[in-house]
Amino acid sequence: KSVKKGFDFTLMVAGESGLGKSTLVNSLFLTDLYKDRKLLNAEERIMQTVEITKHTVDIEEKGVKLKLTIVDTPGFGDAVNNTECWKSVADYIDQQFEQYFRDESGLNRKNIQDNRVHCCLYFISPFGHGLRPLDVEFMKALHEKVNIVPVLAKADTLTPSEVKKKKMKIREEIEQYGIKIYQFPDCDSDEDEDFKQQDSELKESIPFAVIGSNTVVEAKGKRVRGRLYPWGIVEVENSAHCDFVKLRNMLVRTHMQDLKDVTRETHYENYRAQCIQSMTRMVVKERNRNKLTRESGTDFPIPAMPRMADNETEKLIREKDEELRRMQEMLQRIQDQMHTQKEAY
Amino acid sequence: MSDVVPPEVRPKPAVPAKPPNVGAPSPSSPFPTQGLGIGVGGGASFLPPSGIPVPIGSHGPVHISSHNVGHGVGHGTSHNAAHNGGHGLGGSHSSSGGSTLLGYIGIDTIIEQMRKKTMKTGFDFNIMVVGNSGLGKSTLVNTLFKSQVSRRSAGWARDEKIPKTVEVKAVSHVLEEGGVKMKLTVIDTPGFGDQINNDNCWEPISKYINEQYEKFLKEEVNITRKKRIPDTRVHCCLYFISPTGHSLRQLDVEFMKRLSHSVNIIPVIAKADTMTIEERQEFKQRVRKELEMGGIEFYPQKEFDEDMEDKNDNDKIREAMPFAVVGSDKEYQVNGKRVLGRKTQWGIVEVENPNHCEFAQLRDFLIRSHLQDLKEVTHNIHYESYRAKRLNENGGLHPISCNDTQESNL
Repeated sequence: KSVKKGFDFTLMVAGESGLGKSTLVNSLFLTDLYKDRKLLNAEERIMQTVEITKHTVDIEEKGVKLKLTIVDTPGFGDAVNNTECWKSVADYIDQQFEQYFRDESGLNRKNIQDNRVHCCLYFISPFGHGLRPLDVEFMKALHEKVNIVPVLAKADTLTPSEVKKKKMKIREEIEQYGIKIYQFPDCDSDEDEDFKQQDSELKESIPFAVIGSNTVVEAKGKRVRGRLYPWGIVEVENSAHCDFVKLRNMLVRTHMQDLKDVTRETHYENYRAQCIQSMTRMVVKERNRNKLTRESGTDFPIPAMPRMADNETEKLIREKDEELRRMQEMLQRIQDQMHTQKEAY
Repeated sequence: MSDVVPPEVRPKPAVPAKPPNVGAPSPSSPFPTQGLGIGVGGGASFLPPSGIPVPIGSHGPVHISSHNVGHGVGHGTSHNAAHNGGHGLGGSHSSSGGSTLLGYIGIDTIIEQMRKKTMKTGFDFNIMVVGNSGLGKSTLVNTLFKSQVSRRSAGWARDEKIPKTVEVKAVSHVLEEGGVKMKLTVIDTPGFGDQINNDNCWEPISKYINEQYEKFLKEEVNITRKKRIPDTRVHCCLYFISPTGHSLRQLDVEFMKRLSHSVNIIPVIAKADTMTIEERQEFKQRVRKELEMGGIEFYPQKEFDEDMEDKNDNDKIREAMPFAVVGSDKEYQVNGKRVLGRKTQWGIVEVENPNHCEFAQLRDFLIRSHLQDLKEVTHNIHYESYRAKRLNENGGLHPISCNDTQESNL
């Protein structure tokens, strides 16, 4: 039944312009989402702030439907002064959480639209010496809101030894700055060796060195997707050339469900806990205030409203109370869950 | 001029496309015209003795023709490796209908005398590199001058932390080729464009450039001037554009707008092996359009073209700029030859192969044809405008014999 309904997945791509984000997205999903895109020049971009754009595409393969939403962040990191340019991205992610939260607490929960961002591909420039200050700030601002998968862009600019060095440097820096990127789940000890091997290779490949292309070129008699240079042809799907295949498999074939699970269980729950905490704090303040007025001396004329409320207001009050009670129950449940999780480790 | 000595020592023949120019020793007398005064094809003006650049290692025919100077000598000579015909032939070849020579005078030996002088004193060249870290600036400079001249090679660690503010660091080396000594200073600007907030990150660079002009000005204004003022002025600024494939970034435009009037800016597209040939062409076109729209005059500036010949040569160069370059200090074997390149899984990018990238063009342009001109434009135009501005403030500078009192008056 779930296959019939289809799956949905929201992928965000973030990074400076010109790192091949759009090309990679098109290559990953064999789409042409950016056909009518107009590239702005430097003068036009002065006034631009970081935007958030969404493209949705329905993909079907072998009877399985996937509703894919790509969230792009044009303008990120392009200005001379990029202070806090990640704020609109963080706000967007929070907004999706908030919308889901409200829907979940609402009455009609059968057809909730899940627009939460399940994965964020962060594009690291191959031209730097590892992570740049902007990269570090972005990832630290978002690593507790979304699964971050770092990607080394335009990897065809690097020789194999340069790729290795950069990957090591980036991994070191990620640890050094305490950035929590998406962790691949460990495979069970009873899986076969091949699978374990693949899994460890995957973990060693972070950040994925990718190259994107949607043009088909002829290489060694075969037609492949690639880039044609005077000195050779880069094949996108050749594992010896780049990690594109690894990334695609991880994203679409093996880890899509896990990405969604982690989003649901960890990032969303974090958001909810924070939200409810701040809400209950507000509610407790309200309650306390009300208590005071009711119990404080009867010298004051008791306002008629709370007593002889007409049906409308009474219904509203009852609904609100119900909502508050439910939220408190949920909070309790979360706390219990966290307790059990803690005990499990 | 001492004895007229018929030139016996031939300049070494070399194979560059254009005659390379070497700076004259004394910069204290501004040259009235551009350095390419002696070019292939004649039509050049006769410069005062201190102003003739000497083509070292020149190859083919070099014409020197003169307008009617004094007693109207019209004399065209051609220098080549087997020079001997010039004596007799020269006399009958008059470019402007002046009186013909009745014998060999030896005016053409001025070239040789210049050459000897230059070989003794050598000359300075100061090149600055600006761009985000990791764009291959140091590698490119090393590749251009075929030696380890960048700051990185002078013992600095490759993985230095990015400085919080832009620093300006200069490193000098003396290069020698064919008996000519060049003191090359590479000025690096680590930290440019690397922070989250890059507002005004061009200021330390602008300050450095003006400080060099100021230093030179102070020396010039002295009553007892040094015979040869040390020239630390920035002759050329290579600006590295990141190969995004889209267009210039805001920072690029800001920097070049502000500095193109105080220094010669040569934009280059870094790490060009990231783009296919078509992508490169499109990118270049877009960049050129943006430079034009921003009113950015990069070197060679259109307004300084002297004559039609210059204009034609420079137009061709301007059409091809910014050069898309790749740098490398590693050699590989390709088709039996050892070439500088980058080896990837799918092929070897050859740095000096014009089909792969435009490094060779940049090198020829920078070193083999316009090196002298870069210095002259810096001296005659950028420095002069700085000097004029300074002299107009404070009601003028007073030449004083000692540097200390000079400070107090300025």
